[in-house]
Amino acid sequence: MNKELEHKFVTELESNQNIVHKVCSLYTNNRDAHNDLFQEITIQLWKAYPKFRGESKFSTWMYRVALNTAITLYRKSKKRVQTQDYDTVIFKIKTEEYDATQEQQLALMYKAVKQLGDIDKALVFLYLEDKNYSEIADTLGITEVNARVKMNRIKTKLKTILNP
Amino acid sequence: MMDELEMLKKDWQMKEAHLPKLSYDELYAMIWKKSSSIVKWIFFISVIEFVLPHLLYLIPSAREGMAFYEGLGLKNLIIGLSIVQYLVVFYFIYQFYRRYKEISALDNAKELMRKIIRTRKTVKNYIIFALSMFLLTFLLIALGIYLSDTDSFITVLNLEEKKMDMSVGNLRTVVVVVLIALGIVCTAVLGLIYFLIYGLLLRKLGKNYTELKRLEV
Repeated sequence: MNKELEHKFVTELESNQNIVHKVCSLYTNNRDAHNDLFQEITIQLWKAYPKFRGESKFSTWMYRVALNTAITLYRKSKKRVQTQDYDTVIFKIKTEEYDATQEQQLALMYKAVKQLGDIDKALVFLYLEDKNYSEIADTLGITEVNARVKMNRIKTKLKTILNP
Repeated sequence: MMDELEMLKKDWQMKEAHLPKLSYDELYAMIWKKSSSIVKWIFFISVIEFVLPHLLYLIPSAREGMAFYEGLGLKNLIIGLSIVQYLVVFYFIYQFYRRYKEISALDNAKELMRKIIRTRKTVKNYIIFALSMFLLTFLLIALGIYLSDTDSFITVLNLEEKKMDMSVGNLRTVVVVVLIALGIVCTAVLGLIYFLIYGLLLRKLGKNYTELKRLEV
């Protein structure tokens, strides 16, 4: 690995690091675990970088590696202790535009999403990132039709969590 | 529900501004850290599983072992079996390495999981093979003793003292039964330990893979 490649990679990662942070915030529950997963994703991205030929956008390629790491490769589940403090940082920032009901509703929604299974979370994440069904299907290795079916099931599931 | 998810999407995208920001130097330092991914775990555990059974064979030194088998008239059979065993072991190691190399974080989620499970399955098959050979060795020794008409097994197994209390025929039966029972129990215990490690390591992955596969039905 030469210096030029290192520099190119870190620069691209720096400007796209949001994607990794968002994946980490969905799949972990405290700051330590977040940092830990962030690091593992970075290592996996760097290891895969020489094979990145620029056929797709750097960010598109990042989604795939980041989710693969969070769902499959990362292995420190015991450290993922349930703590609330971290959620407050990213998910519970008060936004002036909302009224109290909306605020509460959103907090509940985030909580419900975090309760989903690994695969469901990945679908919701890509959906929130405004990816279309063909991209979602491609990332997960399922058909587009199945991605839609699955997303509809998740919506029903979220509804049940929100209105028990 | 649709509206709620749209609301969530809007909020999600607004929160981007509040995410942590790591500096170039912090990120640069990270790329040199060691990975602790499940693929690494699988690699090291598999290597241990390949090596361990062979270390066990080394405990009674090879020469003593051969004398032991020779005494029972099993020498050629055991040599033949060992050759077959090593050929199979090398095949498994080659297969494992090839599949391990194919694992790539660039595959889609399902394909990645499939490749990891397939790699692990190679080791699983190897373990089944190794355990079968282990059991077979016990059974062969038992059979050798059972069929030998001389009392050479008494010398081989150092049973001279016991010979005083029992007839050779009875002693032979006891030794054969004990060997078979020991073989079965040891194999079962080793198998149990192995499948516990295997199960724990791949539990989460297996669950997610099943979920993705279930969609296809």
